[in-house]
Amino acid sequence: MAKRRLCVKEITKVFPGVVALDRVSMELFEGEILSLVGENGAGKSTLMKVLSGTYPYGSYEGQVMIDDEVVTIHNAQGAQRCGIGMIPQELNIQLDMTAAENIMLGHWPKQKNSLIDWKQLKEAAKTALAELNVDIDVNVQMRSLNASMQQLVCIARALVQKPSILILDEPTAALTLEETENLMKIIHKLKANGISCIYISHKLDEVFEISDRVIVMRNGCVVSDYQKQEIKPNQIIADMIGRTVETFYSQTDKAFSEEAFRVDKIVVPHPYAPNKNIIDGVSFQVRKGEILGLAGLVGSGRSELLRAIYGALPKTSGDIYIDGKKCINQDPREAIQNGIFMVSEDRKFDGYVGSLKIRENMTLSILKKISKYSFIKNNSEKEIVKKYFDYLKIKAPSAETSIMSLSGGNQQKVILSRALATNAKVLFLDEPTRGIDVGAKAEIYKIINELAESGLSIIVISSEMPELILLCDRFVVLRNGGIAGEFLKCEVNEQVLLETAALSIQ
Amino acid sequence: MKKDQNSLFLKFWNKQESGVLLATIAFVIVVVCINPVFISKNNILNVLRSSGYTLITALGMTLVFISGGLDISVGSTLAVGSTVSAMAAQGGLPVAVAVLFGCLAGLAIGMFNGFTIVRLKIPPLIVTLGTQYAGRGVVYILTKGVAIYPLPKSFQAIEQTSVMSIPMIVVIGFILAVIAHVMLSKTTFGRSVYAVGGNIEAARLSGIRIKGTSIATYAITGVCAAFTGVMMAARLGSGQASSGEGFEMTVIAAVIIGGTSATGGTGTILGTAIGAVFMNVLENSMTLMKISVYWQKVVIGLILILAVILDTSKRERAMRSEMKGMGNKKA
Repeated sequence: MAKRRLCVKEITKVFPGVVALDRVSMELFEGEILSLVGENGAGKSTLMKVLSGTYPYGSYEGQVMIDDEVVTIHNAQGAQRCGIGMIPQELNIQLDMTAAENIMLGHWPKQKNSLIDWKQLKEAAKTALAELNVDIDVNVQMRSLNASMQQLVCIARALVQKPSILILDEPTAALTLEETENLMKIIHKLKANGISCIYISHKLDEVFEISDRVIVMRNGCVVSDYQKQEIKPNQIIADMIGRTVETFYSQTDKAFSEEAFRVDKIVVPHPYAPNKNIIDGVSFQVRKGEILGLAGLVGSGRSELLRAIYGALPKTSGDIYIDGKKCINQDPREAIQNGIFMVSEDRKFDGYVGSLKIRENMTLSILKKISKYSFIKNNSEKEIVKKYFDYLKIKAPSAETSIMSLSGGNQQKVILSRALATNAKVLFLDEPTRGIDVGAKAEIYKIINELAESGLSIIVISSEMPELILLCDRFVVLRNGGIAGEFLKCEVNEQVLLETAALSIQ
Repeated sequence: MKKDQNSLFLKFWNKQESGVLLATIAFVIVVVCINPVFISKNNILNVLRSSGYTLITALGMTLVFISGGLDISVGSTLAVGSTVSAMAAQGGLPVAVAVLFGCLAGLAIGMFNGFTIVRLKIPPLIVTLGTQYAGRGVVYILTKGVAIYPLPKSFQAIEQTSVMSIPMIVVIGFILAVIAHVMLSKTTFGRSVYAVGGNIEAARLSGIRIKGTSIATYAITGVCAAFTGVMMAARLGSGQASSGEGFEMTVIAAVIIGGTSATGGTGTILGTAIGAVFMNVLENSMTLMKISVYWQKVVIGLILILAVILDTSKRERAMRSEMKGMGNKKA
């Protein structure tokens, strides 16, 4: 048996109101590639943040042992001293520095006169890249490198510290297939050198290919642990969901007739990987009164697809039809005029205007409708505001209250009001219940169903599979920039959706 | 609910503008105690007149600040408006045309600022610093550094008259302030200005014309500053290349002290008007108290910083109390 490198014992980490890690224990052996899988919020990232010192020793219970000795990790430097190197999901690089400076960041060699020893710095960086068989000029600015090259520079930076354990969090999110293969080769090489890797990814194909062992986490607990030969994809997905779901939902007896909305071969460039399309030729249609669920893993381009259709992100090509009429949707303004409205996933970032009142937030998209010669007509504004304030049962002293003083659920209702006031025909809801408490969630579901019954076509994105299945009549699953499957309500359960989203072979 | 209706005082206290209004009144009382000359009719008219100049440019600046922008080129724009209109008047053009030319020059500068900032995505501080410098250069080229003098009596008359012994500039300032107030609080443009400054991404996704709105605020500010310059040329009876140097400081201070947020989203014309009066009371009283011009600069600079500090801490407090509110609602 190989030497035990890392041992995590009974770690419990509590956030206000949530147990993020519940007595988690795991081991990692020398030269082993261990994968951690689980749904969003299963606790993978929290565990890695404990190991990398982001959550310092003392903010959690339990022990971390390296080479059978108990260690206390207080910060990133502490983790480095213990031999733990981490490549986070969002690369923390200095875009305006050179590759060499980034590789040696924080460890710039100094001359006797305490100026930076550039010669030695570049030499060390070159050696680090050569070890990875990577051919990058160390003098090149990070900004001019593509995403995979940047990723490799980050790996080189981690390896300069000579770690014995390397953590990779979603390293292939921005990589193309070829670049991913190259990364796999590098990881195998590290393994041959005795470095242990913890690999976190939503892409289960990759995980099954590379791992010596797979640990499944769910709700802050480790639920299962499989050696390479024991890996069964369906079993792992069942473990991630938590129960073998046999039951299928009954088909709704709703009958849909006319098509209300259709997109044809939409292509959307990747927002930060210049040589890649995040959505590559996606077509689908929605009928009047239908609720379509857009499923897919984080990074599958669900939000980007809707944003591009809405004109909020640039698209390379593709056609959009509303009621059979072709639209361009150059910007969100045009999309709204054409009868689409998108409720975004992050209310605070691009949902509400915090400095405005409920009333002003509600009517933001219908200023033209409530004004004459560009003067806002108080009466028609108040009338519309009252209508939605009452219909959606917004809990606030009055419509003159600041939107920031509302709970998440009520803020969401205000933004829904803004959408409904435009008399949109097609509604995009991106994570409509994120950060909303259970009671308000039920209300939002009810509203969405009522809207569909009244003839609105709705497209929903949700990372919570049960929510998506509950709400939607039909499902489109995205994977690798394309459509991996289309299902009716009677054909899906969580297992089916997750398998389609995560596996290329079934 | 009843409580709210009863406490008029509380209502007043919660208004943004009340703080600066009280500060102005308190300040005036102190000044009068030290130097009673302050309340002489002439001096009060002087303060009001100079407040009028500050106010007219500050109206545009308020729009720029609410929409989340910044314009430090107004001093030079003022000089451009002043010299262009003076040259036109001296050249024998009708007064109305001379005024129009001055304002159009300001519009051109404002549009240039707006387009460069919004379309080319260059930080407003850099763009308007550039136009401030370039604008001043243009003025010196036009005048060759010599005051444009004399100007026709008819041109001078637009400033050197009064309505019921109230100086013309004060009357015009008041009318423009009312227009600006209506524009901000009653029109779709005003609502867009608040939305863009409050959360530009949310405004974009809601279909607000974010680019057009921002450009318009800079264009309006250009016209306001140039018009201030036109009035100044009429007052002095000459167009001077050096006019309006350091003017941006007084204007920005008036806007910020009037309660407009330095980071965008909130602010009112009423606040700006009070801020303009406050700044001019301050400058006037310091002069009466024989404080040197150099020290006045130190005081005004520090007051601007103090106003921003107060604004920031107020916002942080509001944020914290709202977070608490949200927590309570969940519980």
